Amino acid sequence: MAEATGTIDRQATAFRSSAQAMPSPFTPGIIVAYLAVVGYALLLVLPLYWLFVSSFKPSIEILSQPFVPTFTSGVQNLVEVWNRLSMGSAMLNSIYITSCSVVVTLLIAVPAAYGLARAGGPIAAIMERIYALGFLIPGFAALIPTLLLAIKLGLFNDREFMILYLPASAQPLAVILLTQFMRTVPRELEESARIDGASNLRILWSIYVPLVRPGIATIAILNFIGFWNEYIYSLVIVGANAQRRTLQVALPTLQGNQGITDYALVCAGTLISVLPVFLIYIVLNRRMEEALVQGAVKG
Amino acid sequence: MTRRNVAATPPSASGVGREPGLLWFAAPSLLWYLAFTVGPLFAMFYIAFLDWKGIASAPKWAGLSNFARMVSDPRVGNAIINTVIHLGATLPVMMILSFMLGYFLNLKLPGHRILRVVMFIPALISVSALGMLFVAVLGPVGLVNGILGAFGHPGSAWLANSSTAMPALIAITIWAGAGFNGVLFSARLSAIDPDIFAAADLDGAGHWQKMWKVALPIAIDYFGVLTMLQFLWTLFGSAGLILILTEGGPGSATETLSWLVFRFGYSDSRVGYSQALGILLFVIGIVGLLTIRRMLRARY
Repeated sequence: MAEATGTIDRQATAFRSSAQAMPSPFTPGIIVAYLAVVGYALLLVLPLYWLFVSSFKPSIEILSQPFVPTFTSGVQNLVEVWNRLSMGSAMLNSIYITSCSVVVTLLIAVPAAYGLARAGGPIAAIMERIYALGFLIPGFAALIPTLLLAIKLGLFNDREFMILYLPASAQPLAVILLTQFMRTVPRELEESARIDGASNLRILWSIYVPLVRPGIATIAILNFIGFWNEYIYSLVIVGANAQRRTLQVALPTLQGNQGITDYALVCAGTLISVLPVFLIYIVLNRRMEEALVQGAVKG
Repeated sequence: MTRRNVAATPPSASGVGREPGLLWFAAPSLLWYLAFTVGPLFAMFYIAFLDWKGIASAPKWAGLSNFARMVSDPRVGNAIINTVIHLGATLPVMMILSFMLGYFLNLKLPGHRILRVVMFIPALISVSALGMLFVAVLGPVGLVNGILGAFGHPGSAWLANSSTAMPALIAITIWAGAGFNGVLFSARLSAIDPDIFAAADLDGAGHWQKMWKVALPIAIDYFGVLTMLQFLWTLFGSAGLILILTEGGPGSATETLSWLVFRFGYSDSRVGYSQALGILLFVIGIVGLLTIRRMLRARY
């Protein structure tokens, strides 16, 4: 897969250099398009810049000088919203649910992908079809029945139900993507191990897993973002109890208590909630983009 | 892209090295997935026929009465209209803009890397952060009113005004989705053989013609897939955003079908009725998918 992209990149480079041999890529039309795209980029960045600078000023300055980075109130808003929403425990809950769910997702999806890639035959094809149909089931559709299931299992208001639910919702993409990766592993690699009497589990662990590590990383990144950002199931199933709620559930409780919303606190709280994913994005930039593009089919 | 690869590599039908016993490796995953995702979905089709006044009380069989009520409920009619407006204003604008954006990014002009990074940002933000960001941006003392105030305009409570709440919801949906779809289109377009564009250049085609007459027909299947996904996401996913932004209000100005399913099932404890609406939503989803697929099929 990586090789194919490399070829495309090289071709694209060749194409670009031939384009540059022509007078100039900047025709009037392209200049207009460029300005429009930069305009849209500013539209994306502006609210986030405003959110950032507003987090460090008192409410009154937010309206009077929206774009000036005054930093008048220092970290006061951040501290206040952190305490008021008990964001410390919310953060721990989010970390607990997200990390356990990512681990469970991989623990069941990796063997499944190995099985499907190597078993072959009509049953494997049908199973793969069942997973593929999962792409078309929007998460929200079964919200209320899932809530009823949580109640039946005695796991209503428990974080642990999310650790059961989230990996299940992630299986279609994880299994299908990993199956594709597993298929690229040449069979010859495992033959000698098989002659030495290695078990299937042993072969999976010491031959396949190291070779499909990029696929596993993709799934881990995608699910980390998806699980961390999950809102409506966490709200309905785990609930807004301050001890158990996740970060995403805690944040909207800032709104409209007695009809009054303190925008400085809203900005500070939102800033804290998006920070973890943004920090990881800064570190893993390229990898994360690739993962999101590969996983987009899940939507 | 994933889908294409699946089609390109059929399961080893030749039978070389097949090991049916390995299917057991997939059992935990499949059971897990069926129990917690597919199971509840099927349950919806049973619950919709129950009269169920909330989680605590015992359900009674209600036959088709939930569906009968649905047909004559003006609130449902209003929600259908709002859903159509939300989708009709969002989908075409977003998909056309993001295709153009994808074509532009794929030209790889100077600065395209940084633009790509910016376009990605909304894809990293959760629904609740997105909602709270715009609660602040569109609030009475928010960013938009701050800018308008600088020009001497009094501003407005955009989300609390019944004539601007739905346009605001549409704008937020496009804001959050167009950039990411643009990056996806650019990834698809970069896989097109550059010789094809070079041939179009020789014929004297400009970018506008290459975009719509060359790139779009080649990538029309992908255009269809992304449109279907965006359709599903907008149709089903609007409840989360609406919950934070407007709770369906002011009045019923932003009540969509997905919001009503949530509202009736969760807040109002009309579980059976909510799931009857859920089936309506599901049927609209399937009809919409099939329509989009028909409209955006490869024609060569």
